[in-house]
Amino acid sequence: MLKIHDVCKSYNGIKVLDHVSFEITKSDVLGLAGPSGSGKSTLLRCIQKLETFDSGSVECDGKTGFMFQDFQLFPHLTVLQNLVYGPNLGKKSAHRRQSNEKRAQAMLKNLGIEEKAATYPGSLSGGQKQRAALARSLMVDPDILLCDEPTSGLDVATTMDVVQLLQSVCQTGTTMMIASHDLDFLTKISDRIILLRDGKIAADIDAKRCRNPVDRLKKYYAD
Amino acid sequence: MGGVISNCIYLGKGLVFTLELTMGGIIIGLTLGVLLSVLRYCRICVPLVKGWSSVVRGTPLILQLSIIYFSVPGLVGVKLDMLSAGVIAFGLNSSAYMAEIFRSGIESLPKGQFEAAQTLGISNFYMWRDIILPQVVKNILPALVNEVIALLKETTLISVIGGMDVMRRSQIVAAEQFEYFMPLCIAGAYYYCMAMLIEFVGEKIEQRISYAKNP
Repeated sequence: MLKIHDVCKSYNGIKVLDHVSFEITKSDVLGLAGPSGSGKSTLLRCIQKLETFDSGSVECDGKTGFMFQDFQLFPHLTVLQNLVYGPNLGKKSAHRRQSNEKRAQAMLKNLGIEEKAATYPGSLSGGQKQRAALARSLMVDPDILLCDEPTSGLDVATTMDVVQLLQSVCQTGTTMMIASHDLDFLTKISDRIILLRDGKIAADIDAKRCRNPVDRLKKYYAD
Repeated sequence: MGGVISNCIYLGKGLVFTLELTMGGIIIGLTLGVLLSVLRYCRICVPLVKGWSSVVRGTPLILQLSIIYFSVPGLVGVKLDMLSAGVIAFGLNSSAYMAEIFRSGIESLPKGQFEAAQTLGISNFYMWRDIILPQVVKNILPALVNEVIALLKETTLISVIGGMDVMRRSQIVAAEQFEYFMPLCIAGAYYYCMAMLIEFVGEKIEQRISYAKNP
């Protein structure tokens, strides 16, 4: 599904990604852990082609969806317009537009924010923005969903909601890569966790089989 | 009293000319200004845009107006009437300032807005038209209104090439009647009313395009 081979990237002479290689298969949920500045976000951005890398290759079968850490909803469009604007582009037939709208409304309903369809993002709470951002990234029917720090800045209850939301997305068979520094959150949701440190893979553990993944990962932080 | 009214009517005849110059200048200035600010994101166009901005902002408007009205006909063989020369000069001059205003608006948007459009597969044309510029216009509207009011006041320079705008007419009346205060006050009132009208329209547009605060 996604093959990352020997990817290197540096900013101003500082190596942010240092010979990173791994593969993920369909329906995998991969957690990317690591301290701030370890290269998690950069790796996701390289996969999404928001950044170029210096060497190596990224092969991806299928479309990618991207969820930004700070949501990046379009503030001048309502939640529903945010969802349908991309998919509606170039679709002249009213039928296709209506079906996109129905799909968007169904998605908002699933995420519990259907009453916010006509609201502008500025008046949503953090959790609601997160849901709207998730819905928008799912509207492009991604084969792989890349989530950059989906729980940063959210309170505990909202984080639990996000876990449930992402778990429900996993159940649809969507492959996911989630970058987060929150190890508890990552172990709840991921099948496998890769820990990056100084741009290198410091650990690669099977979160489902490992008995105490959080403690194991914390050891790598401390080393 | 009769004199004041007849002076008002005589000066009022220049209003249409002043408004034509301002409107023409806004249309050219806005169109070129948006184009120049977007072209700044095309690497090969950057020197051209910077050069244009630098030359236009670094030379007096009265000089630009004189070049367009007096020298261009000699160079290209096309005689320009006063209105066309004025509209072109004020429009080109304003475009450099508007481009800078738009640039500051574009740069104040989070980079993530461009990236979000990219991740949704939105092409550059639609990204600029539907995502970036609507947000930019909302943010820079007060600065744009200022620029339009400045443009209105700068149109008084048209008197240098003999254009019969409100200001020029007030000077003619003053010279004829040896009375400066009244005609200049009438001209001032006309300009003030036009500036207030622009401000009012700006406020209405601002209310219309307002939406909830940025996320």
